[in-house]
Amino acid sequence: MRDSSSRRTPSWFLPASQAFHQAGFSPPVDIYRLARGWLLKFDLAGVRPQDVEVVIRGCHVTVRGVRRDWMIEEGVASYSMEIAYNSFARTIDLPCDVDVAEVQTEFRDGMLLVRLELQRSDA
Amino acid sequence: MTDGQRNISLPVLPLKNTVLFPHLVLPLVVGRPSSLAAVEAALKSEDKTLVLVAQKDPSVDDPQPDGLYTVGTQAVIKKMDRAEGQVQLVVQGAQRLELVSVALEDGLLRAQVRPIPDPQDTGPEVEALQRLVLEQATKIHALVQPQTPISVEQFLSQFSDPLHQVYLLGSMLSLDLEKEQALLEAATRVTALRLMHEYLTHEVQVLELRQEIANEARTEMSREQREYLLRQQMQAIQQELGEQSPEQAEAAELRRRFEEADLPESVRKEAARDLTRLERMPPAAPDYQLTRTYLELVLELPWSKSTEDILDLARARQVLDEDHYGLKEIKERILEHLAVLKLNPKAKAPILCFVGPPGVGKTSLGKSIGRALGRTFERISLGGLHDESELRGHRRTYIGAMPGRIIQAIRRAGVNNPLLMLDEVDKLGQGFHGDPAAALLEVLDPAQNFEFRDNYLNMAFDLSRVFFVTTANTLDTIPRPLLDRMELLRLAGYTGEEKFEIARRYLIPRQLSEAGLTAEQLNITDVAVEQVIARYTREAGVRQLERALGRLTRKVAVRFAEGQSAAVTVEPDDLKELLGPEKFFPEAARAKLPPGVSTGLAWTETGGEVLYVEALLLPDGKGLTLTGQLGEVMRESAQAAHSYVWSRAGELDVAESKFKDFGLHVHVPAGAVPKDGPSAGVAMVTALVSLYTGLPVRRDTAMTGEITLSGLVLPVGGIKEKVLGARRAGVSRIILPKQNEQDLAEVPAEARGELEFVFAQRVDDAWAAAIPQLAERLAEAEAA
Repeated sequence: MRDSSSRRTPSWFLPASQAFHQAGFSPPVDIYRLARGWLLKFDLAGVRPQDVEVVIRGCHVTVRGVRRDWMIEEGVASYSMEIAYNSFARTIDLPCDVDVAEVQTEFRDGMLLVRLELQRSDA
Repeated sequence: MTDGQRNISLPVLPLKNTVLFPHLVLPLVVGRPSSLAAVEAALKSEDKTLVLVAQKDPSVDDPQPDGLYTVGTQAVIKKMDRAEGQVQLVVQGAQRLELVSVALEDGLLRAQVRPIPDPQDTGPEVEALQRLVLEQATKIHALVQPQTPISVEQFLSQFSDPLHQVYLLGSMLSLDLEKEQALLEAATRVTALRLMHEYLTHEVQVLELRQEIANEARTEMSREQREYLLRQQMQAIQQELGEQSPEQAEAAELRRRFEEADLPESVRKEAARDLTRLERMPPAAPDYQLTRTYLELVLELPWSKSTEDILDLARARQVLDEDHYGLKEIKERILEHLAVLKLNPKAKAPILCFVGPPGVGKTSLGKSIGRALGRTFERISLGGLHDESELRGHRRTYIGAMPGRIIQAIRRAGVNNPLLMLDEVDKLGQGFHGDPAAALLEVLDPAQNFEFRDNYLNMAFDLSRVFFVTTANTLDTIPRPLLDRMELLRLAGYTGEEKFEIARRYLIPRQLSEAGLTAEQLNITDVAVEQVIARYTREAGVRQLERALGRLTRKVAVRFAEGQSAAVTVEPDDLKELLGPEKFFPEAARAKLPPGVSTGLAWTETGGEVLYVEALLLPDGKGLTLTGQLGEVMRESAQAAHSYVWSRAGELDVAESKFKDFGLHVHVPAGAVPKDGPSAGVAMVTALVSLYTGLPVRRDTAMTGEITLSGLVLPVGGIKEKVLGARRAGVSRIILPKQNEQDLAEVPAEARGELEFVFAQRVDDAWAAAIPQLAERLAEAEAA
């Protein structure tokens, strides 16, 4: 088929999971409970630290950024591609009984660790 | 990473027939070189980004910058794989882009693009349109996939922005490229929603119409099913009541006849198969009628039904004599065959062929034989038949196929040993559909016809017990192999006496009864009958005679119908009034023949005829002129006669100069009738001798015979016809070849008694007998 694109077959209403909510991908995340706070571990392998932005608004933690492919040297051609590049975003809703007092971010082995120190609201 | 305000440069992947909406995912297969280059360029970038834009004409394989729309979609390649020189992609739309400029660089299209921000217009109109769109989409959903668990509302809820919902719907509907592009280019939410509403409404209409059509088809289908079911039920009820449908009754009747019929084993097996098939067949099947007709034929054919022959010779002779006057020789031959059949019942029935002029009773003779033997008589006229399948039938696969004439005649006869008369076998045509004469060969060959295979019947039928009689007017047109299989019986024609007897015994009584008169009312005197025969008819048979007598009786019948009561006696003098003026005069018309004219005898299909040979010397002429439609053989015969007379010039006392200085013209009237054959040789020689010697030929003398250059007279055929013809013409003396003497036995005695015959061995005998003065002169010369 020498065609730039195959025309979509008129299949109505795909399962919802197949439609993407937003442009870009959302990286997987592990959430850990700490004695006094939360630890979020985002799988951001291959993402440069300066391309990541962490936004905390109330009890919503949003991590977004861009994964750039740095294997674009001369003499290297892409043969097959499965890793998602370009923009990504992920928002985590935490229980809203806390105020965030302190945030630490750290890149370790391709993972972004976001540590949230909580302060009791009654304090 | 895109900067909203600055122009950026991206590789362009042109799309055929579709657009990519922002936020939606599209699988693609890329094969075109320029597109592949664009994909490679995008893969080489950090962010795997390119522009997808629809080309205006989907049929163009190598689109140019101006062949693209100016609004496209920025897309990120999510997955990529290669297979067979093509690249499979999954791309996801990011945002709309305006293509500020497009150019071809290094084999790929690159565009300067500017992002188009999503419109943010809100208000009651947006809300209203959004609800309308949802309504229509729900309708479509209900029409297309009524049983999916997920609702449209749920499905659309994955996007909060109404514009994105429109994009999602747009990717689901199979819209035209123009419509998709218009949706993509919509500058406000209201525009996009309005467009989508329009498309959905159209889609609803199409789907509703489709459903309507499908429903109609469904009702049509169920009506037929209903009828079928009702029929089945009716059949069941009929069976329960012991009733039968007409078709079943028909099949049952056939089955009954089949069980009762006396069929040979092979036929029974074959027919049983067809009968079983018929019983299982629905009556509406196209084959039903065909099979039924075929089975009826098979059951009706007299496979083993035959009549007992009556082999009583005395009775046979009586029957033949009752039906036909004269024809002694023929009757004897027929009785001979009957005698053989009596002594040896297994003897093959002979195949007779009656040859003779029209109206001599060939057909009725056949009937008489049938009656004498006690066989059923059936007649097939072969005149003008030119298709083999007329005789042998068509294969059953043809529409309107029928058995051939032979099998049809057997079926009519109802017995397998009828007397089958094949009339006019000399008039079989020749068509391009096979040769009917060749088919007759099989029918008439005792070695083959015991298993005659008709194409329609497709089973062997035994014709060997059939008594075949054929008739013909002439043998010339009958193919040799066919002629070979038949026993020829010639009916030459009747003498005046025979005709008189036939008229008295058969024709007059028949015509009287047809006219509704009695023998007491109309009496035709013997002299009057003779006059009718001699003056009103000229034929070998008696058809004209019967017609003339018919006219006569009708004329008389008119008188009775008009009230006359006194009996009528027809005298010769009344004939002019009843039949009009005489049509023929006795041939003595030529009271005296001038020198150079002689009387010849000819054989024609209608009997013997008299013809004259006229010769004339042409002063200053040269050579031999022949006229009168003479055939090749007759012309040669005239030349031979000329040469021979020349060679005898001295003996005949004719000056050589007469041959050298004069031309010769020989004419044979009537000029319009073609004539051929060697038998006029003697007449020609006689005419020439008469011409050169100046001595006339006796006018009461007719002659026939072939001549040779050495002066011999050779025998010829048709003596009986010729003699009778001569007698009809009023000739009293006939010169015949010596070797034909024994043929006179065929001539009726009364004719023989009236005529004087001279038998010539050499030409000299002929001219001596024909020219009395020459005979005297030659005798004197010899004495001297």
